Amino acid sequence: MDPQKTILVVDDASLVRLYYRTTLEGAGFHVEEAMNGLEALEKLLTFPVHLMIVDINMPQMDGLTFLQAVRRKDRALASIPALVTSTESAAADFEAARVAGANYYLVKPIDQPRLREFADLLCGVRR
Amino acid sequence: MTIKVSPAGNIELIGICSSDEGEVLLQHLLATPHMMVDWRACEAAHTAVIQVLMATRPGLLGPPAALLLEKWVQPVLAATMDK
Amino acid sequence: MNEFLTQFVIESRELVEQATEGLLVLEHSPHDAERLDSVFRAFHTLKGGAGIVEFAAMERAVHAAEEILSGARAGKRTLTTALVGDCLACLDQVIQWLDAVEQTGELPSSAANTKADDTWLADMLERNPEVRAQVATALQFIPDPDCFYQGEDPLARITALPELLALDVQPMAAWPALNSFDPYKCNLVLTALTAASMGEVTAHMHGHSGTCEIQTISDVRTTPPASALPAQARNILTEQRAMLSHATAANLAGFVASAGLAAGNALRSCALAETAAIIAQATESSLSANSPEPLRHAISQLLSPTPAAVTETTKVSSKPEATAQTLRIDARRVDALVRLTGELTVAKNAAGHVAKLAQQEGNAIAGLLKDRQVVLERLIAELQESVLGMRVLPLRSVLQRFPRVVREMSLNLGKPLTLEIEGDDTEADKAIVEMLFEPLLHIVRNAIDHGIESLGERAARGKPPTARIRIRAARQADQVIIEISDDGGGIDVDRVREIARTRGVATEEELRLMPEMDIIDLVFAAGFSTAAKVTELSGRGVGLDAVRTAVERIGGRVSLESRAGDGATVRFSLPFSVMMTQVMTVEASGQMFGVPLDAIVETVSVPRTAIVGIGAAHAIVLRNRTVPVVDLAAILGLREAMSGETDATIVITSVAGHFGGLHVDRIGQRLEVILKPLDGLLTGMPGITGTTLLGDGRVLLVLDIGELLQ
Repeated sequence: MDPQKTILVVDDASLVRLYYRTTLEGAGFHVEEAMNGLEALEKLLTFPVHLMIVDINMPQMDGLTFLQAVRRKDRALASIPALVTSTESAAADFEAARVAGANYYLVKPIDQPRLREFADLLCGVRR
Repeated sequence: MTIKVSPAGNIELIGICSSDEGEVLLQHLLATPHMMVDWRACEAAHTAVIQVLMATRPGLLGPPAALLLEKWVQPVLAATMDK
Repeated sequence: MNEFLTQFVIESRELVEQATEGLLVLEHSPHDAERLDSVFRAFHTLKGGAGIVEFAAMERAVHAAEEILSGARAGKRTLTTALVGDCLACLDQVIQWLDAVEQTGELPSSAANTKADDTWLADMLERNPEVRAQVATALQFIPDPDCFYQGEDPLARITALPELLALDVQPMAAWPALNSFDPYKCNLVLTALTAASMGEVTAHMHGHSGTCEIQTISDVRTTPPASALPAQARNILTEQRAMLSHATAANLAGFVASAGLAAGNALRSCALAETAAIIAQATESSLSANSPEPLRHAISQLLSPTPAAVTETTKVSSKPEATAQTLRIDARRVDALVRLTGELTVAKNAAGHVAKLAQQEGNAIAGLLKDRQVVLERLIAELQESVLGMRVLPLRSVLQRFPRVVREMSLNLGKPLTLEIEGDDTEADKAIVEMLFEPLLHIVRNAIDHGIESLGERAARGKPPTARIRIRAARQADQVIIEISDDGGGIDVDRVREIARTRGVATEEELRLMPEMDIIDLVFAAGFSTAAKVTELSGRGVGLDAVRTAVERIGGRVSLESRAGDGATVRFSLPFSVMMTQVMTVEASGQMFGVPLDAIVETVSVPRTAIVGIGAAHAIVLRNRTVPVVDLAAILGLREAMSGETDATIVITSVAGHFGGLHVDRIGQRLEVILKPLDGLLTGMPGITGTTLLGDGRVLLVLDIGELLQ
């Protein structure tokens, strides 16, 4: 049995965080939440995280800025895979996310099966 | 003038039919409901024009000149006719 | 109602308020960019929320408004009154939906997805078996009805999709009769299958006007037989390779390590542990060589070449928003706290009684006890104030509904109006805030309907054409004052007099002797209504007496001041903090009284004969204890002591440790009421602690049990 994986959800909309939490906890993940990039950084320094789901559009520190900062830190933090989400679907937005260090990009809203699928894949969970 | 009535009595769609032609086509078809629409010289047609054809279901004389129209739009219109 | 929906309703309501406020401002200053931005975001977030709870109809409705605002933001159109009206109408619809959701606990069934079920996908795949194996992505595009006006050509866009495999086009609704058919209203649903990836399709559909659903078809594709890579795993690997090409010196380690982990995990998740191990090794090589190449190469080996990504240049900008410093708490928890505090007070009083007893008996500890008691008193008083303070809300939540009301009335009646609101941050108890809207609405409607003259009349009187309504709120000592003033014609005193006479509200004689101020106050009397015709707007002639009753029920007052020809001001004076008391009603000699619940121990029914006389008093024996009993009706002077009935109903009370019994005719029900202290005729009446107004307008006297049983 794989040990439980922790996913950090970073989004300023509480409804979205609730949605992710319910979906992912139901799939057996441990979920931590952060409302913005600053809070997310704090959380990353506090517990081991296996995957970050980061929304681009957030106040104070937007998702991409946060991601860039994380990718420059030491290996433990910088190596955490990041799934970036946004309501935008232009190719340029995909590109910007890539440049910032996203490992994948999904356009919102993300339905539950897809969310679970990518959580499994990016955390290396076999079902 | 991309929509005109031929001597044979058909409504012809010629060249590139823009959105404005939708209204023109509709008027023609309302005035003379039994006319066939000849789109053999049609290179492109705005959705508004195609929509008129879907709603009015006239007899069609084809195939249209443009490959895209023939490949994708003609089957759609054919399916509409069947109903 | 499930957790999502609850949260969704709460947040959506807040967003609607935010959007409404913004829209009303925008109507007067359509170029306020910051405001436009904030309103747009409100709609955008509303739409997002609807998407999460899968409320398709709301998503579509809000989307339409969002499009309007998006166009305004981009400078493509100006926000006219008509467009603002459309957006406001959309919000009205949303509120209706939210109310329905709150009531039923689920999404309205009629508003569920119409054609947007996933059956479209299954159908489409079934109808095109010959291309099934190549399909990577499917989409269904429902263009906005007015997309043609925005330069959209849906068919052209879809037929231009890369690697298009199948296309289906259907009408959204049945085609109307031809002579009422509008060719410029798009009525189509376009469904397509393509071999292109989700990313490519999404990019291609960018900037579409309408709703578009894109689905990836996850399936095992024909890949090099050595490793059967599922589609999504393949997508992830491709993505890592693309991402690696953007690594810079500063973040190389991070990029390589995370890409390696992401790729490896994806493989592990597909039970390809050995392949994952190869990737892990390649990752380490890359890290020690300080170059992305080893890892990139390893990934490429696993994939067949894929096309390069398209590049456009657009900018994604985000504006910082303030984060709130508030906590959301269920109102019931605060109410529970208030009740607890009330009970604490009772307990404190009981302790105080013991302290007093100890003192009387010359007990040595008495002094200590008294000191502790004083501290307790202070702490509990502070706690009570603090807790009551939690139930306090700014009046803004009530007052902010009025700009809309005034705007609508202004448009409907053709009377130009401006509304000024002052002091909307004034706070008042939740109970007050909750009951205020109806009475205030009535007053405002009256003022606009009857007080404010028509344009013609105003011109004749030399008044400015735009009439002014002002709502002013302020705190004064322990009261909250709210004034609604208008610059209309004021009250016509003669008309009031006449109507009072006609409707029998006052006699001819009384009217003659009444000072003008009192005549004006008659508008609040029961049975009065000055509407010459009861317009739909000012209500069904229920009258200002309903307003006065509602206000007095919570312990407030309302009065009217008029300046002939210049306007009128209605003044509400409300208590700042409102204590709810729980009482049980009892009946004695046909009259109803309230008994504070915290004084009641139990109610018993005993045979009449069980009540024994002890001198002039009476008592019963209850569980080996003698409990003095008084006949409530008799003690209040309502009648002689009761006799004749076989069983007596007795309410057993305990106040400050003393037990007593109240003999009553009947027990009523429990009520939560707001106590008004005694005033006027009732002041000094023993045995009554206060009064309260019942819902039907009757006055309930609430008893002071301690005094009564002495």
